[in-house]
Amino acid sequence: MTRMNRRTLLKSAAGAGGLAAASAVIGTPLIAQDRSLKIGSYGGYFENSFKEFVYPAFTEATGIAVESVTQPNSTDWLVTMTQATKAGNVPADVSLYGRDSLIKASRIGGLLAPLDKSKMAATSNLDPYFVFEDSTGPIGVGAMSWFSAMVINPGEVEAPASWTEFWDSSTYEASLGLSKNYNSQFLDIVAATYFDGAETLSTKDGIMAVIEKAAEIKPNVALWWSAESQMEQAMKNGDVIGGQYYLDVANLMAADGFPIKPIFPKEGNPQDYGSWCLSAISDKGDEAAAFMDFSSDPATQALMSRKIGTAPLVAQSMTDLTDEEFAMVSGAPSIKPAYEAYLDNETFIKENWDKMLAGA
Amino acid sequence: MTLASDHDTAPQVGDLAPKNSLPSGETLIRGLIWAVVLFLCLTPFLLVFAISFGHKVEGASWVWGFSLDNYKRVFVGAEWPDNVTFLYLQKLWYSLYYAVIAAILAVITAFPFTYFMTGLSRRAQAAWLVFILSSLSLSEVFIVMGWDVLLSNRSGLPMLFKVSGATQWLKDVGWFDTLRDWGLANPRNVKFKTSVFATVLTMAYLVWPYAVILLYPPLSRLDRSTVEAAQTMGAGPWTVMRTVILPSVRLPLVGSMLLLFVFLLGVYVAVTVFAEPAKQTMAVSVYEAVRGNTLNAPFGSAQAMILLVTAAVFLGLGQWLSRRNA
Repeated sequence: MTRMNRRTLLKSAAGAGGLAAASAVIGTPLIAQDRSLKIGSYGGYFENSFKEFVYPAFTEATGIAVESVTQPNSTDWLVTMTQATKAGNVPADVSLYGRDSLIKASRIGGLLAPLDKSKMAATSNLDPYFVFEDSTGPIGVGAMSWFSAMVINPGEVEAPASWTEFWDSSTYEASLGLSKNYNSQFLDIVAATYFDGAETLSTKDGIMAVIEKAAEIKPNVALWWSAESQMEQAMKNGDVIGGQYYLDVANLMAADGFPIKPIFPKEGNPQDYGSWCLSAISDKGDEAAAFMDFSSDPATQALMSRKIGTAPLVAQSMTDLTDEEFAMVSGAPSIKPAYEAYLDNETFIKENWDKMLAGA
Repeated sequence: MTLASDHDTAPQVGDLAPKNSLPSGETLIRGLIWAVVLFLCLTPFLLVFAISFGHKVEGASWVWGFSLDNYKRVFVGAEWPDNVTFLYLQKLWYSLYYAVIAAILAVITAFPFTYFMTGLSRRAQAAWLVFILSSLSLSEVFIVMGWDVLLSNRSGLPMLFKVSGATQWLKDVGWFDTLRDWGLANPRNVKFKTSVFATVLTMAYLVWPYAVILLYPPLSRLDRSTVEAAQTMGAGPWTVMRTVILPSVRLPLVGSMLLLFVFLLGVYVAVTVFAEPAKQTMAVSVYEAVRGNTLNAPFGSAQAMILLVTAAVFLGLGQWLSRRNA
């Protein structure tokens, strides 16, 4: 199959989604599968790839039918699921949450069901960091991960060796695109580049020092993007010549001939990941365990890397990914975001970050 | 006058018959309609009002409560009294700033257009109106995307500057550095995103069709013979505009501006795309609080209430001013 970029896939998403929904409704009673599972994932390209490649393989392996549910993202979905749980009827059994939303759900309480690890032997392939446990037990199993990487326009500038070069106004004045959200990991980049990493963000003084350093880059930022597509367009149009963007999309865009190149500078790039979580009021515990077991299998991890562009949560050596395939989706070193700090001092970080952006 | 007297007699015939046979049924239906309307209007409002007193749980979601902390935060920030910030008032200021400028810009550009349009033949007027009405089907997202492309470096206005040599010329005469100081250029070329210019332009464009549609009825009812009379008495075009046309449509002009102003207070997409974070509005801040990562619906609601009160104050002021001068 020829490589489709995210844009073309998005265009066909609506049609394909409708078809898939129709076939699920028509197909289910005919096959008479009595075991089924509703699984949420981020809509568009992402969800379509799951419906096309991952869910069919799972159904084939276990006989459990999957009904795909569209999530807008993690945070909005958490709002939806909180309200749905209160109402006693949830739209999905298994949801996909970023680690921050997962911790938040754990702190809100009563939203996620503890999982039985004995029914998910394959989770032993994952680094323990990716199986999240709180006081009720394991509540999230790592699904896939993604990097938000340094990108540059290779036609305009040389590849920087360090993030510090982005602070240099002689090259980058009014030319960078960075994410506007306080927790989209730019603070983690600053902390890893100029301070002691996540540890610095654990105190209010540390947070202020990091935000002050981040403020120094403002004259070089032409775009503080809030939607992924803004940064995509800005890189394509040359409105910006560098910044922070998703590694997999950057690689896809580069393969399509656009002037973008992802870089792993010496400090590394932030790595975030998504987890499968079971709703507290779902009665599909066994089916969910079967799915998470399947998802943690190195073969499934490699399948997702190839078809969806996510980084595997197992070592490259466990999979059959080639070095070239692995470099498309992953890299080193990885910066681990200070998730707990963002939650412990949520209002403080958000307000001071916004103040920094607003110059107020 | 015949039209008015028709109206006077018509309801009487219709009213008498059912009133005698089924008075209670009609009252019931009317009451029901009122109840539904009130329910639909007031419930969301009351809900937002109630949530605005809620309490945020750090690192989690929020709980119901009764505290004025969210309102306090809008005025002085979350860390008061240790630290004071006018961050949210700054956002409120930009909400008003963009909405006022864009509303005025839309109305003063739509006014001459609509005036000349009402002077055209019936057929031409109908064609223009259909065209303008159909342009209303374009959503905000669509319009913003269009302007985004038009102002982009490689496909829009900056490209035109570069190809036509205007960029080089600006550099040669030294005005380019001034543009850089204003944030309208990077070292390579001019840039129009992000800027106040692009934001206001897009917002005015967004409501321009509404301005035409709002101004069309009063301008088409305008008695052209008064204009002709003024002209035969030797008044120039500007005098006619100032002393005859403008006074007779002053109320609709002010009314249109106020309506568009309130509409523009809630613009979200244009602001997120074209305004830098330092110059974003309260509508964006409300959305970020409610649906963003913090799940702080109470703070979002408090900001929404303040925005609502501000809009109401402005509408009241506008009413008062126009009534005083009437």
